[in-house]
Amino acid sequence: MSSFYIGDDTTRDGVVVLVVGGEIDYEVSPQLRERMFAHIKANRGRLVLDLSWATFIDSTAIGVLTGAATKLHEADGEPLAVVCTHERVLQIFEITGLESMISLYSSCEEALSALAVAG
Amino acid sequence: MQAPVEQDTASFAASELRLPALRSALGAARRYVEEAAAAFGFDADSCFKLVFAVNEAVTNAIRHGAPDEQGSISLSVVADVDRLTFVVRDCGTFGVPVLDTDTRSEHGRGLALMASVMDEIQLHIKPGSTIVRLSKTRA
Repeated sequence: MSSFYIGDDTTRDGVVVLVVGGEIDYEVSPQLRERMFAHIKANRGRLVLDLSWATFIDSTAIGVLTGAATKLHEADGEPLAVVCTHERVLQIFEITGLESMISLYSSCEEALSALAVAG
Repeated sequence: MQAPVEQDTASFAASELRLPALRSALGAARRYVEEAAAAFGFDADSCFKLVFAVNEAVTNAIRHGAPDEQGSISLSVVADVDRLTFVVRDCGTFGVPVLDTDTRSEHGRGLALMASVMDEIQLHIKPGSTIVRLSKTRA
């Protein structure tokens, strides 16, 4: 019944974009963790997590994002770039304090141009 | 064996959903909460908060609790005047969570999060029984 999906990594302008949509809960957060940490471990450069189609996120997934954001920050001093416009998901970012640990963008294009400017 | 005693008043309608103690049951738990909260007349924002909080409680029951002999945990709803209470029951023995206020931690924020979006949370704990009651009052 859950509508989660996770896309293949795509590279745009030298930045890896990971699209994750639907309901991100305890059933699927291990998949999110595996994909994000595989990227970080392989040190494949900048990452944009595109949550444009995410409709729900729970504390286990927030935990994954918190861990990934911390690791990325330690590795290259950059915040995790997240694309999200869903009001409820943004509300969870705010309640959990994740908001202060990531760079939020309203579209993938906006995130990519911000990263291009930042070099 | 003693059955847990319900303290609720007689003026409620109640329903119960038995869920397998599996991660894949979480979607069904959220649908149940969403439908009950909307039917009770909560606005979209409150419905979402209820779904979020109860999902956390059911996740905890699946993750840290124990199912009954049939492999189930229980989710029920009690309506009392303007107040809706969701009750999550499992047969585990509650372990006091390590409170971790470090925002960088990956774990340990479930209970605090539930409390931040509910009007009241009650934990009824004894050996072999953990009951979490999450209440919200309609505006």
